[in-house]
Amino acid sequence: MATTSQEEFTLDTAAELAAEEGGAQIQGKSPWVLAGRRLRRNYVALTFLGVFFLIVICCLLAPLYVSQVSHVGQNDVRTGATIVEHGKKVNVISQGGTKIVNGVPKIVFGGVPIGPQWGAAGGKYILGADELGRDIATRLLYGGRNSLFIGVTASAICTTLAVILALLSGYFGGIVDWIISRFFDLIWAFPVVLLGIALGTALSVNGFHHFGINISGSNLAIPIAVISFVFIPYIGRPLRGQVLALRNREFVEAATAQGAGSIRIMFSELLPNIASSVLVLFTLIVANCILTEVGLSFLGAGVHLPNPSWGTMIQEGSNKLSTAPGLSLFPGIAIALTVLSLNVFGDGLRDALDPRAKIRIEHG
Amino acid sequence: MRSKRTSVAIAAVVAAGLALVVSACGGGGSSGSNNTTSAPAGKTFPTLKVVWGTTDYFDPGLSYRLASWQLFQDVYLGLVVKAHVSCQTDNCAKIEPGLATTTGKVSDGGKDFKFTLRKGIKYSNGEPVKASDFKATIIRDFKLNSPGIGFFSNIVGVDACEGNPTKCADISGIVTDDKAGTVEIKLKTPESDFLYVLSIPFTAIVPASTPQKDTENPPPAANGPYYITSYNPSKSFVIKRNPNWKKNEIPAVPNGNPDTIDGTMTDDQAQAAQLVASGQDMYDENILPVDQLQHYKSQYGDQIKFFTTPSTYYFFMNTRLAPFDNLKSRQAVNYAIDRQQLVNLRGGLGVPTYNFLPPSYPQYKKITPDPYPYDLQKAKQLVQQSGTAGQKVTIYTISDVAVDLSTGEYLQSQLNKIGWKASLKPIAGANYFTIVGNQSTKAQIGFTDWFEDYPYPSDWFNILLNGEHITKVHNNNYGNVNIKSANKEIDRLDSLPPSQALSASTNSAWAKIDKQYSDNAATAPYLNGILTSFFSSKMDVSCDVFTDSQDDLAQFCMK
Repeated sequence: MATTSQEEFTLDTAAELAAEEGGAQIQGKSPWVLAGRRLRRNYVALTFLGVFFLIVICCLLAPLYVSQVSHVGQNDVRTGATIVEHGKKVNVISQGGTKIVNGVPKIVFGGVPIGPQWGAAGGKYILGADELGRDIATRLLYGGRNSLFIGVTASAICTTLAVILALLSGYFGGIVDWIISRFFDLIWAFPVVLLGIALGTALSVNGFHHFGINISGSNLAIPIAVISFVFIPYIGRPLRGQVLALRNREFVEAATAQGAGSIRIMFSELLPNIASSVLVLFTLIVANCILTEVGLSFLGAGVHLPNPSWGTMIQEGSNKLSTAPGLSLFPGIAIALTVLSLNVFGDGLRDALDPRAKIRIEHG
Repeated sequence: MRSKRTSVAIAAVVAAGLALVVSACGGGGSSGSNNTTSAPAGKTFPTLKVVWGTTDYFDPGLSYRLASWQLFQDVYLGLVVKAHVSCQTDNCAKIEPGLATTTGKVSDGGKDFKFTLRKGIKYSNGEPVKASDFKATIIRDFKLNSPGIGFFSNIVGVDACEGNPTKCADISGIVTDDKAGTVEIKLKTPESDFLYVLSIPFTAIVPASTPQKDTENPPPAANGPYYITSYNPSKSFVIKRNPNWKKNEIPAVPNGNPDTIDGTMTDDQAQAAQLVASGQDMYDENILPVDQLQHYKSQYGDQIKFFTTPSTYYFFMNTRLAPFDNLKSRQAVNYAIDRQQLVNLRGGLGVPTYNFLPPSYPQYKKITPDPYPYDLQKAKQLVQQSGTAGQKVTIYTISDVAVDLSTGEYLQSQLNKIGWKASLKPIAGANYFTIVGNQSTKAQIGFTDWFEDYPYPSDWFNILLNGEHITKVHNNNYGNVNIKSANKEIDRLDSLPPSQALSASTNSAWAKIDKQYSDNAATAPYLNGILTSFFSSKMDVSCDVFTDSQDDLAQFCMK
């Protein structure tokens, strides 16, 4: 059925799509092509995909923004700098100090960063400065690179591991299934953020120095590893269920009869049949991973200062909400837009790939 | 002691304080003071709600933070106490009799101190205060590996305890007689500041039965007008009137106005200020958030007090570790920091300095010309010359005090600019000084500050920079600074007879030590602090008394 204002957009089946587009146009088309067609009709999902790509492109262009517009690097501390605002010289950070006169302090208050300039300062400090004179807009873009990089990389690692475990668990069953399922249960038993903080804090203090692997505490690999680890069961469990349902199907038996080995059956027969679910789950988990990265960085267990991430920026601005709300507000808006766009697009993708699917990311 | 607050100590006060030590050492001992600081009648009130910074410990044998000491002044008393009077109007450096009847009888050329305990004083748990408790307290300090044990190195018979603190069993130089109530302390050499040492919390007497481990919930039994009934680390504390305190029992110690002091603990300056602004709490121990100083001052006017402190904020540099084992590297750090900008980071609350000793001391002599004016190019050259360019440097700072974190980030930026690869290691304030004071941490460089324990230069140079007092844990000399000639001179000045302690030549000698440490770039001092006190509109600010440990909560009163 076609979408209406009251009904969820689902071009449920090929038959419904055929009714919509005409049977000839869908005959002989692969499910991927059909899904693409369904997705093309979901303008809301496509719009939000555009928003996400826009955010990604903006963040990727951060170096260009620095060289051509702001001329202030992401970690450039400019406490004593001045800018020209409407032809007037203005301190980036208001200057203060104390003189002791007859034992009595005479204080000139200072240390307050400049607010958003919106272009009045020739591209500098468009969104204002923080307490160290760093350009918020520049840090927002670089922070986005870190947050998105961690979120997407962690999702990719998490999805890859979860798919492998789900295939092993669902295909072999027995003791293998029991061990992997208990492993999922073990991680599932902890709230994601709590487990993330515990692992993130432990690893970020001294880094990881075991099994010949040496990673410093400030390396982005730490939050990536932590986030990808804590989300494994949230992808692995639903996929395991699908593999369990598929492993006794005729096409698997046919492959076995042809002498195909376990690895070939898992990756050549089963994996393509769960690929649509994998793709949907990946899209949805990216948003969760970005949110977790933000949470961990906010709590000091993610990206290390002075490098920005949207989480560290919110944390740094949290005690200046009354005087410089932009410090937290701008990264907050960026996070909300990113997560919203990924979730809306993820839902649209799920509806397109498998309209009857009940796949949802659930976590504690 | 380490941040965050303390009192004003001006030169005249210091002079007067030491004059008292001189007079005490002259023998005879002064009689009990008549200068009672008892609470004026009718000023008592049920509950004082305060918001407080987090601290390291709540055990007087272990804590070396002002946040604790400010509370301890009305809870844990020693043989003598610092006067509970305002530094602005009175001689706050004056030492007065505490649990002892006098400020002591000094003999043997300033090497023998004798005290007699007041009779009938009881701890909050009902036990009587005994002379032997003093010795037990000092031994307990050693067993705790207290950061205060360096103060006792001049006591006869302490060597065995210094060699193996946790096995300390006896100190022959402390002789006590419970029956007569006498405490005799024998020193190896005269010590001009020893009475001050006896007034700090490390020597505050606790019952001999107190466990010889960190005791915090509840903390050890008290002998002052108040006792701590509960302490939830980094969250809250409750202090109540000591049921065994007799009114005006010790004239120098106020009986106190609030019946209960209910404390909420946070290092979030904005939140703390808001709690007082909203009237939920009545006093904010934290410094006001620097970006809102103007707002608070214009909105709350006289409810906010600003005052200079005998404090120095500085960066320590570990002279045992590369790159700071190299003089040029340490000089580079000194050139790389713009002290005015570091003041600005604190909202303007500070005065730039190159000296280690604060300007309120008579021994202070401003180092001129400015030895390390801000010069990034020179700093870069020095890093190149030191052969340490490109080395990794880890900067330690406090994570939960916004301005300290910014200070760390500022230093990181500067060190990266001059050729090192600097990274930041923020640590929660409650544990920060304990962690960087542990040799196993191997802290390379970091933020620290110092507020005087008592107004004499030995409290600065002897504790913070004398290489002979470097310890494995609870080390106060974070940079492991060890300049042998300076150590020797500090020891010489510290053991001068009290009559020479404030002579012009002695003052000049201390100033030379200050210069020597500056020449060696032993640390990178950058400012002397200005602090804030914020009272709610319910409080009568005129009652506020800045004692040596800043605002004396016992003397707070309501409108």
